[in-house]
Amino acid sequence: MVQLNSQYGREENTSETRKVRVIGVGGAGSNILDRAMLDGIDRVELATANTDVQSLTGSVTNLKIQLGRNLTRGLGSGGDPELGLAAAEECSDEIQAAIAGYDIVFVCAGLGGGTGSGAAPYIAKLAKDAGALVLALVTMPFTFEGRRRCAQAAASLQLVREYSDAVICFENDRMAELALPRMGIHEAFAAADVTISQSIRAMSNLLLQPGLIRLGFDDICSVIRDGDARALFGFGEAEGENRAHDALVKALRNPLMHRGEMLASAVNVIVQIRGGANVNLGEIGNVMEELNRHVSDRTQLMMGIAIDSRMGSRLSVSLISSLGGNPERLAKADYPALEERERLEPAPTPTAAALPEPVVHLQLGDEPSTNGRKIEVPPSEEAVILESAGNRPSGHRTSKKEVVPADKAAPKAAPKKIEAKQEVLQFDAVSRGRFEKSEPTIIDGQDLDVPTFLRRRVKVG
Amino acid sequence: MARDNIFAGLEIGTTKVCVVVAEARHDNTLKILGVGNAPSRGIRKGEIVDFETAKRCVHDAIVDAEERSDVEISEVYLGISGGHIRSFNNRGVVVLEEGREEIDEQDLEDVRTNAREVSLPMEDCVLHTIIQHYYVDGQDGVLNPLGLFGKKLEADFHIVYGIRTRIQNAIRCVKELELETADVVISSFATAQAVLDKNDKQLGALVIDIGGGTTDFVVYVEGAVKQSGVIAVGGDHITNDLSIGLKIPSARAEKLKIEEGDVTLGNAFPGETIVLRDETGFAGREIERETLNQIVHCRLREILEIVERQVEADQNLNYLGAGVFITGGSSQLRGIEHLASEVFGMPARTTAPLPLAGVTSAFEHPQFSTAIGLARYAHLVHLDRPITRGILSRTMKRLTGIFRT
Repeated sequence: MVQLNSQYGREENTSETRKVRVIGVGGAGSNILDRAMLDGIDRVELATANTDVQSLTGSVTNLKIQLGRNLTRGLGSGGDPELGLAAAEECSDEIQAAIAGYDIVFVCAGLGGGTGSGAAPYIAKLAKDAGALVLALVTMPFTFEGRRRCAQAAASLQLVREYSDAVICFENDRMAELALPRMGIHEAFAAADVTISQSIRAMSNLLLQPGLIRLGFDDICSVIRDGDARALFGFGEAEGENRAHDALVKALRNPLMHRGEMLASAVNVIVQIRGGANVNLGEIGNVMEELNRHVSDRTQLMMGIAIDSRMGSRLSVSLISSLGGNPERLAKADYPALEERERLEPAPTPTAAALPEPVVHLQLGDEPSTNGRKIEVPPSEEAVILESAGNRPSGHRTSKKEVVPADKAAPKAAPKKIEAKQEVLQFDAVSRGRFEKSEPTIIDGQDLDVPTFLRRRVKVG
Repeated sequence: MARDNIFAGLEIGTTKVCVVVAEARHDNTLKILGVGNAPSRGIRKGEIVDFETAKRCVHDAIVDAEERSDVEISEVYLGISGGHIRSFNNRGVVVLEEGREEIDEQDLEDVRTNAREVSLPMEDCVLHTIIQHYYVDGQDGVLNPLGLFGKKLEADFHIVYGIRTRIQNAIRCVKELELETADVVISSFATAQAVLDKNDKQLGALVIDIGGGTTDFVVYVEGAVKQSGVIAVGGDHITNDLSIGLKIPSARAEKLKIEEGDVTLGNAFPGETIVLRDETGFAGREIERETLNQIVHCRLREILEIVERQVEADQNLNYLGAGVFITGGSSQLRGIEHLASEVFGMPARTTAPLPLAGVTSAFEHPQFSTAIGLARYAHLVHLDRPITRGILSRTMKRLTGIFRT
């Protein structure tokens, strides 16, 4: 069934678009943005905020904010988060000016040091107060950087979480798998930056690019917020005859994915497939079918498809998810922005709610709005939303689940998943026995090479 | 093959390589001439992981079979298994052009080609396209549309596909031994030919072959293959579970599984133990029988549940009039029938290949179901091959015949 929303004509005439600001905070933050700039990122505006003038002048972003002009006098914050915070507070006006008028703010920072740990939560707070949706992408220090830095990072992460709608946390320890131990430290960090910049790119594409099957910020939020902020992110791009398969394999090979094993314990997974005009249904089917082998039955796959002529003959697959779900945290958390959003959202169309079977639901402009402003899809003939009730939840359903977790599937599924995850993690290293080196047999997200009695926790002996 | 009426089936299994040599007699029955056997090495989960070692095992089995049957093998029907094999059902449609109303052989071929035209990953290739049902102008239940009048021919097919390179590995292994591969057959079909008779296929049956490395299953409904699948879990996993759970070496666990394996829970006396003896016969550790049973039970139940879920998902569970047939080496575990009946909620029995003439008494054993099934498959192909007609009709007859029987 194909429905054309009556708003179609009206939406086409508006020219308003969503504005996205990406702010890199501290040394690590600006490195990430430099990388993102190098890789090419469009339709978002970048800004750097740092205490260290030297690092700031080296940055390639358009807008640079020097934090603590009087306090640190252009030097770094010396690894002191309080100094970092004070420096940021000193120039809150400048920050506010940089944020004003943006709907979505990405805050990128490396936690553990002074500026990143101190200023990032503050900037997130300012953005939040300004009414923007805030997505934080932060890195956690290497364990070998010492306990103190790790503790500072953890404390700061807690704050960032408080002020952000969603946090994606990249652990450097895990990122280290990207690089060989012998590799230069510069290359190693660069490899990590590439991953983060890929994820910024993927996210911003997800949010801004018109898609055949579009995913919105609500989808990202629902995926990331359910978890305990350990992001699973994978990105793969390939071309050639077998590009769909190759791209997915690359995405799964990302260290943050743990070769896809981690996916088994995710509750929600976002999949975005981008390609040129020649993407065909078979390829999408192949990607989804293959991906389905890596996730459990309960996992909700949210699929987005974007057609971008600049992709040429390439095809990319991005996977975004987070590990585990903590229903208590969900229940306690307070998301004013969401509640507000929910109020402002258009009432669910009866078709979307009532149809039991997956329907192809063509509509325009039925997107959740942000702080009162209607967000619209850039008018183009690709900008149609194909909704299938089975695969992709409509906006109102997703947000309801977050706000009132008691009545939807998430809390039911989440505790179960935690259990399963722990089982796998606990025994994984030792218990595949003679199948250690053979290709794993994964069905419904379970690694069948691990003894059943271990996975099902049957007490024996 | 030296003589036209002699067939050899080769199964490269995870536990053993088995070759069955059989002869078609004039009364259209099959007689087994000899069975060659060799323990497998270099094979995991039904797939070759060490080519040279596996080749040697195949060589040993072939030589063994040649000695026993006194036949020189030149061509084999090769059984294929492995977790990469997948299947689905698809319908093909052909509309006859203006002015022609009689369905001919070309139409049957076209409808098959049409059904096969689906997008598969590049690395995959189709192994079988098995006819299920024909429809002529929407009319159901057409057994053979050849020569019928109609405007539109439709046909449902069961299509089996797998990763090309992995299938080629097995074929190459045979080729390097100076043998021809007459046909590649997926193991579950072969097994079904050995353990099901016509009646079972008509009534509806599920055959589960739990081998060493894989569990292969096939569903027959109304005489046609409705569903098939391979799960890369088998007896090896039970051994591995025991080895991990009881902390004993793999070889010891294998022996323990064969000698004492039981899936029944609560059957052992409380505190009943099994003494593990080492090679010299000295008593070593003691393990509790209930522990052993539990580990085996968990794994087997899981395997059966996975099959059950897959059959249920395709809504075939209600059409299995003849019930569930369990075969393969791992089906010898005690209590498996009871467990399977419980999981599937219908009668389940372990079964060996149907009796055949020849030196079969030793081989009427679940372990040999697939290999004997391969020989039966070859025989059925042979029976359906009229000598006077062209090659096209041969292939058609062959494929329609086998899976409708």
